[in-house]
Amino acid sequence: MQEHYTQEIEDLKTNLFKMAALVDEQIERAMKSLQENDLEIIKGIKAKDHEIDAYDNLIKTQCENILAIFQPVASDLRYIMSVIMVNANLERCGDIAINISRRVKRTSEHHNLLIESNLIEMSKIARQMVKDSIDSFINLDLDLANKSLSEDESVDEINRAAFRFFIAKMQENPSLIEPCSHLIVLSRLIERLADHATHISENLIFYVEAKLIAHRKKLEKRENE
Amino acid sequence: MDNIISVKNLNAYYNKKNHVLKNINIDIPRNKVMAIIGPSGCGKSTFIRCLNRMHEVVGGTIDGSIEVDGQDLMKVDPVLLRKQVGMVFQKPNPFPTMSIFNNVAAGLRLNGVRGKKTLAPIVEKSLRQAALWDEVKDNLDKSGMDLSGGQQQRLCIARTLAVNPKVILMDEPASALDPLSTSKIEDLIFELKNEYTIVIVTHNMQQASRVSDFTAFFYVGDLVEISDTRKMFTSPDNKKTEDYISGRFG
Repeated sequence: MQEHYTQEIEDLKTNLFKMAALVDEQIERAMKSLQENDLEIIKGIKAKDHEIDAYDNLIKTQCENILAIFQPVASDLRYIMSVIMVNANLERCGDIAINISRRVKRTSEHHNLLIESNLIEMSKIARQMVKDSIDSFINLDLDLANKSLSEDESVDEINRAAFRFFIAKMQENPSLIEPCSHLIVLSRLIERLADHATHISENLIFYVEAKLIAHRKKLEKRENE
Repeated sequence: MDNIISVKNLNAYYNKKNHVLKNINIDIPRNKVMAIIGPSGCGKSTFIRCLNRMHEVVGGTIDGSIEVDGQDLMKVDPVLLRKQVGMVFQKPNPFPTMSIFNNVAAGLRLNGVRGKKTLAPIVEKSLRQAALWDEVKDNLDKSGMDLSGGQQQRLCIARTLAVNPKVILMDEPASALDPLSTSKIEDLIFELKNEYTIVIVTHNMQQASRVSDFTAFFYVGDLVEISDTRKMFTSPDNKKTEDYISGRFG
């Protein structure tokens, strides 16, 4: 039975890693397109998302089967719970890559605004966060997960500053309302991408250390109020 | 916490040489369910047999101390002790020549309670507590052996309850039963802990996690870990515990 269980877990890991590789590739294309204003890179990006969606369903089914058949406990249970959550995060990252590429297309004539608003820098940090969080989950690397977590605040800060920047631009020049609106959404998408990277890292910490650290800052803040 | 059983430095032996329990220290809280888990031969059945001095019956000896409700176990008459600390075994064992009524009344009669008028309300109460009354109330004169395996086990639980014990020891009480009967026994354990303290030995990890408040893991005579059941099955402290409950050995 233990051998059978180990085999099921290995199959699950393989599928999760394949899905993670696909998501990583999609994000790489979307971010490169954003950073270099290169619309060629994102051609066909949507078609690839169907493969990610198929892995999402496959992994959900595998997790359901493992829970029903083997009823894992302790770290085995935490692993399956983490995989369910990470799978959802990866699937959302895949969708965000598509949405980013859409916004890049619509704002390609205003690439200077991306540079001025610091969205290029923000996209680089978020992209690295996703990469680090995926690598940390694959290699069970807590240091890397913590490194990824520590970057989230700087992404949030750039997002807030970018919002103020775009509002000012729109007030200054109403002809920029449409591109700036797209860019506000784009900034928000990059911020969400960083959030998903954070969730992946939090799930690794939950699996390895049995610690729930999600919402930690918010809860601490409320306790202190 | 109010502990009904306090075990200190307990060592148990068979034939004076075979050291089967090694320096066990456990406090069992009142009105809670304590599950004892561990692979075959780890000493879990020996441990609960020590709690009602059944270990001596099979030729075992112990040193260390066991207190039940503040009384030193070794100073209590074994028959009186077993009235306070009842036991339910793996295989249902109703007395084969007795009716359902007499099976439940057997322990009471042994303790000097006589007369159907006195016995009947206690028998009914015990059968109700064992969730068996509605199924047998019209057939109390029939043999206990006519019941299904699950009903027989609940009859044995009723027999144990009739003498109003403080503690009920259960040695794999559902391992010989089908899933539905097992579920009834588990529901019963949940109900009974309002009035009794239960110590249950089980090989079924899911059962231990479902029914108990605390779990103790034994391995080759040692108490490896004891903790809140939810902690034990989500994040045990000891690697050996984790490997055992995850099915990696045992």
